[in-house]
Amino acid sequence: MIQIKHLSKKFGELVVLKDISIEIITGEVIAIIGPSGTGKSTFLRCLNLLDRPSGGSITIDGINILDAKADVPKVRQKMNMVFQSFNLFSHLSVLENLTLGPIKLRGMSAKDAELKALDLLKLVGLAEKADSYPDELSGGQKQRVAIARCLAMDPEIILFDEPTSALDPTMVSEVLSVIRRLAKDGMTMAIVTHEMDFARDVANRVLYMDEGLIYEEGTPQQLFDNPQKEKTRTFINRIRSFNCQISSPDYDLYAMNAEIETFCEKQILPKKTRQNLLLLVEELLQIYNPLLSTTLLDLTIAYSEKKESLELVLESTGEAVNPLDKNLQPDELGLNIINNLTESIKYQRVNDKNRVTVLMKKTL
Amino acid sequence: MEIHTQKEANATVVAITGRLDAVTAPEYEKAVNELIAGGEIAFVIDFGSLDYISSAGLRGLLVTAKQLKGKGGQVRCANVKGTVKEVFDISGFGTIFQMDDTVAAALANIS
Repeated sequence: MIQIKHLSKKFGELVVLKDISIEIITGEVIAIIGPSGTGKSTFLRCLNLLDRPSGGSITIDGINILDAKADVPKVRQKMNMVFQSFNLFSHLSVLENLTLGPIKLRGMSAKDAELKALDLLKLVGLAEKADSYPDELSGGQKQRVAIARCLAMDPEIILFDEPTSALDPTMVSEVLSVIRRLAKDGMTMAIVTHEMDFARDVANRVLYMDEGLIYEEGTPQQLFDNPQKEKTRTFINRIRSFNCQISSPDYDLYAMNAEIETFCEKQILPKKTRQNLLLLVEELLQIYNPLLSTTLLDLTIAYSEKKESLELVLESTGEAVNPLDKNLQPDELGLNIINNLTESIKYQRVNDKNRVTVLMKKTL
Repeated sequence: MEIHTQKEANATVVAITGRLDAVTAPEYEKAVNELIAGGEIAFVIDFGSLDYISSAGLRGLLVTAKQLKGKGGQVRCANVKGTVKEVFDISGFGTIFQMDDTVAAALANIS
């Protein structure tokens, strides 16, 4: 249905979209997720030419809409958009909001347009609000009207740009259930959203955007349960991390403790978890200490808000050896404490470095 | 870390405050070694105000205990509680060392 090839968008010097290629098939529901500022909304706006792409091609049913001769209003009718901030005409009644486009742009008779509008208002559960004005509606109702207005143009695809971001939490579900209903009816949709659970159960395909690219894509199961790339994992599992490099046996333990404490406070970790983490870090560093005069140690503490888990990754240079090997320790005091505080310890040789991944036990 | 020593009739009470870790363990060893060198052979270590101990701290305790053993002396641990007790338990120190609930009980148990 829609083929996008090497789409790019620059605002002056700023490259927002680098190189996007994707095909959207009729009936597909595509969720677009990713951190703020990675071009998700710009991508949608480029699709229906609200922002003019800087390069690439967008072909709909065989016609390249970036062609100078393309009929832009016609393109927009095929690809209607629902905005974060509704964008209803506040001086028109709900019904007039829905009939304006069909009458002016599609030459529908006022009567037909009204009948169709009433049908659509029924579909979104707002038939009794036909004569109200947008200011008399709640946010959730406004967004439902906006969706009905979109449908009034019989679009082939609807682009949703964070349709629930401007809503009170109590109103999110009424809007999402309307979108779910459209998905069930086979409407083709591309939805930029921060509602991960919604993306997971409504989409056939999920695009994770980062760095101006489609960084990773897959089915909801693939992307949410088993993301392959580092940044996707970080985003999906809502991972926050603390990183430091230690290059001398005389590192400042207390300065590091203070930084770790600050990190823990930001993640609102309980006191007991903090204490255990500090003990675990000291014990690990004690074991690495004899090596530190010759190796460089990279310590990352990663907290997954979603899994509520703390993972420590220690990467050290030097010959291939597991620094936590029992036979290398003068006694078992440190290892006993480490084992007691951890769920699992994994050793791997990666990129000529020794990587030890330690998953901390959850504190009760 | 702060160390306060108090000479009692049959032993020296060493009270440790704060953290006994990789940074402070050497200070602890030095302080106790000086007392041993001065002829003290019976010790009660008071952990009541200790917030944190790591394996480095435990090693410090072991080193001084071994020294005392060589001289026919003894050491008892009092007031081991909270997170310090957890680390003692993980490491089996609760069974290696002689433990008392209070300093008074520890002093009474010094033979």
